[in-house]
Amino acid sequence: MEVITLTINGKTISCDPGVSVLDAAAKNGFSIPTLCHHPDLKPFGACRVCLVEDEKTGRLMAACVTPVAQNMAVRTHTPRILTHRRNIAALMLAAHPESCIVCDKGNRCRLRRVAAELGVGEIRLDPMPSDQTPDQLNPFIYRDLSKCILCGKCIRADHELVVTGAIDYSMRGIKAYPATLQDKPLEQSGCTFCGTCVALCPTGALTTRSTYVGVPEREVDTVCGFCGVGCRLRLGAADSQVVEANPAMDGKSVNGATLCIRGHFGHDFLNSVKRLTRPMLRQNGTMTPVTWDEALQETARRLLMLKEQYGPQSIAFLGSSKCTNEENYLFQKIARSLLKTNNIDNGGYALGRGLLSCIEKRTDGSGRFHFFAGSLAGLEKCDAILVIGADPTHSMPVAGYYLKRGAVKGIPLIVVDPRRTELAKYSALWLPVQPGADTDLVNAVAALILARKSHDASFVERFTAGFREYAASLRALDFEQIKKSTGLEKTALEKAATLLSHKKIAFVLGDGILKQRSGLEAVEALLNLAMLTGSIAHKGAGFYIPAKENNLVGAWDMGSVPTTLPGRRAVTDPEARGEWEKIWQTALPTEPGLDLVQIIQAAEAGRLKGIFIMGENPLRSLPQPERVKAAFAKLELLVTQDILFTETVEAAHIVLPGAAFSEKEGAFINMEGRLQQLAAVVPPPGQAKADLEILLALARYLEDGNGPASLAQVRAEIGQVLPLYSPSARSRHLVWIQKKEGREAAIPFSPVKSAAPDQVETGRPYMAVLGSRRHQLGSGTRTGLSARIAAFSTQGGIAVAAADALKWGVADGQMIRLTSANGIMNGRVRIDAKVRPGFIFVPHGEDSNQARCLLGLTALMDSASPGWNTCPVSIEKIEGGLP
Amino acid sequence: MKPPEIDWQKLNALIESHKTEQWGLIPLLQEIQKAFGFIPPESVEPIAEALGLFPAQVQGVITFYAGFSMVPRGKYVLRVCCGTACHVKGGRSILRLVQQDLKLKEGETSPDYKFSLESAACLGACALAPTMMVNRDYFGKLSPPKVASILNYFGKEGREEG
Repeated sequence: MEVITLTINGKTISCDPGVSVLDAAAKNGFSIPTLCHHPDLKPFGACRVCLVEDEKTGRLMAACVTPVAQNMAVRTHTPRILTHRRNIAALMLAAHPESCIVCDKGNRCRLRRVAAELGVGEIRLDPMPSDQTPDQLNPFIYRDLSKCILCGKCIRADHELVVTGAIDYSMRGIKAYPATLQDKPLEQSGCTFCGTCVALCPTGALTTRSTYVGVPEREVDTVCGFCGVGCRLRLGAADSQVVEANPAMDGKSVNGATLCIRGHFGHDFLNSVKRLTRPMLRQNGTMTPVTWDEALQETARRLLMLKEQYGPQSIAFLGSSKCTNEENYLFQKIARSLLKTNNIDNGGYALGRGLLSCIEKRTDGSGRFHFFAGSLAGLEKCDAILVIGADPTHSMPVAGYYLKRGAVKGIPLIVVDPRRTELAKYSALWLPVQPGADTDLVNAVAALILARKSHDASFVERFTAGFREYAASLRALDFEQIKKSTGLEKTALEKAATLLSHKKIAFVLGDGILKQRSGLEAVEALLNLAMLTGSIAHKGAGFYIPAKENNLVGAWDMGSVPTTLPGRRAVTDPEARGEWEKIWQTALPTEPGLDLVQIIQAAEAGRLKGIFIMGENPLRSLPQPERVKAAFAKLELLVTQDILFTETVEAAHIVLPGAAFSEKEGAFINMEGRLQQLAAVVPPPGQAKADLEILLALARYLEDGNGPASLAQVRAEIGQVLPLYSPSARSRHLVWIQKKEGREAAIPFSPVKSAAPDQVETGRPYMAVLGSRRHQLGSGTRTGLSARIAAFSTQGGIAVAAADALKWGVADGQMIRLTSANGIMNGRVRIDAKVRPGFIFVPHGEDSNQARCLLGLTALMDSASPGWNTCPVSIEKIEGGLP
Repeated sequence: MKPPEIDWQKLNALIESHKTEQWGLIPLLQEIQKAFGFIPPESVEPIAEALGLFPAQVQGVITFYAGFSMVPRGKYVLRVCCGTACHVKGGRSILRLVQQDLKLKEGETSPDYKFSLESAACLGACALAPTMMVNRDYFGKLSPPKVASILNYFGKEGREEG
């Protein structure tokens, strides 16, 4: 490739064509001040403080938008340029209010820094500050446009990174300002409160609303503890509290400059009064604070007593998809090697792990083919995207940004969802499928692709088996029947097939598949489609499974599951067991243990006597809470190790206060498989301890004399079998899938099955579809305690179609009651044009996660189970329930 | 009196004719402005959806150009020139005269939606100074009687129509 040679300040340098003068200068150690420039945004040239001078012509150019040219000669700091820069800064300051002393941006203000570096003190211009009144109605962003310098970073972040389009410039010249549509306050605009604009704003025009005033004392980079995207965070701390969260802006992170409403504004839950600060024991029915020694000794004594009295199968352990790898590893080690039980699971069960392991199984044995796509960046590079039963713009907003950016770049995006989700707006095609009919839909699309011969025949030939039978049953599909079950015309499906013709597809699956009744059939159909189109191991193609919890993958990898040991190897495999038995120097139980639902059922039946729960809140997250509560009441021992005084902690016998992700060290694995290290930003509150410390101490009380004694030793122990989890490993690859000898087996197509869609019942004529809204994560245990989110989430509620609301005679904001076969919930109506008549959208997490009451506590991944995603309900208006 | 009713069918047909033409935003806005005299704020979102833009972007374009208006304007839009040549020839006085006669300030529209008054930096007809425009027609070498007769003419025409 051509190399450009130019001189900057007399120094001859060479660089690639297309690079801006600004970047070329920065690379060679010449720092040019900037205000409107950001590496993640397209060059814009709005502020002009990066002016440089062309030596030959004397022309002044904005360095950020000037590409390097052959034999160019540039000066960056001549007296003439400095005069211009000073004038520009002075003009900006003349139109800026003199409020630096009370401005929350403080020393992070770039305008102030640029002015200071240029030595602009006294301005000597008539001040002409703007009289814009600040927008401060929402609990998140304080928007004071009198401090705006029109750099456009907020607008460009909104359009280019987050792709929401809530704001753009309005008016022109001296009257120009960034405006929402019709100048409405932010909460009435399309704004999603991701806070990206706040993080990028160079002045105090956009700041975070907070009870903490000023700039944090220190800032530490770590990983977000909410969802599985695993964004890099910069937490600001003052004293021993986290007071602010911003994106870490590290170029290699998954999120770059973006975050979501939860990550940016939800972390005030860390300072909630509900934090647990000391160990407690239930004595004579009341919780009494005790010392750590007493609490741990009692825990160990009673666990061993149960094991002695009722056998190891009477105890179960519930690890956490929110805790670190090391914690989950040690947790399951305690269960398996010290108490000899495989009864261990984590909250990932409720997040569809079962189906993930089904995909995993198909991969196993032929390590070459990896259905999982990996890096989210692939979503901006792939050929076509099929989003099915997922709304990442709400469930995992940062993953949603990737999808939206991909769609805006022109990648065909197909959204399959009963509801017109926010993502549908960006899609080339939205297929409003009947809930539960995804299997039929996927098979029909596969049949149409096959009929056009637009599948990947060479891939099918080389790597798969059973194609002939598969093709025959696809050809035999009855499109009349499919129309009946999916509710879609053949023409709509034809459109989908056209968009996917000869394309390698990126599949994004969500709750709609992972938690539905016939999820297994749907996943098999999708795997078949992936093989038919050759969407495996090709740029960006493959499966993207949103992990709703930060360490869903890690908890699974570390063996916090009933069926596999660390490294995802089956407990029934003697070879795998042997490896760990050698390290743990003890015999391990050979039978798979109980999963989450089975644990509750066993407790109900009285077979289970003790449960140790670390960082999960089943009383808020599982369906039928009254059943779970009754099951817990039968237990002889319920130990909870948590950070918050949750519903589950309330029912416990022993309470061990742990540390939040910002208060401890360890590692998480995000949905891409990225291993990321945490940093302890602040100490745990009160006597609370890092969870690993608690578990290490407990292991000692359980008479494990020669176990590891520190984080480093735990990591070293994991590394003996799984070297990729050792501290030096930066990324995870699936090396622990054992290599098989000989020719690798072809992947078989699975038989085409049909699955009946979910039906409403007599007396329950509406279909409730559960889903997430972006301000609550999962059951809302943590996000519900964020003061800012609590102040905002009154805007949530049960979304219904206008036609239905009219039929029942209810207005926006009125209370209604939903009754399903399993329970009742009350909530406010929100009329939503995106919901079709006959459907009701019920958000998770809000109002103590009432939505769960509608569901039944039945096993997921079982065709006899109605699933955890939809359920038929009846509606009742609650009189006098107007807001 | 209420502003004229918007014929939504006509508006939707206009939007439909430019569907998916991202480059066609300004021509579309011009057509709407011509057909309705202004761009109804309610039309911003349908326009954005049809053209695959963000509503805020469409609003940004509308507010950027002085030629587009988001509020209903009168049947006759008067633009009085305040450019250099007109200023020298007494353009300010002409503006004051029109203001008094119509009882309107710059940027205002009469309650019966007959007249809107604007000032312009230059109408490009300096030889005819002082000048003004009514909709797309120029009126040059203005004097107080001439202004009165022009306003009278348009006023009368309106009465006949009404």
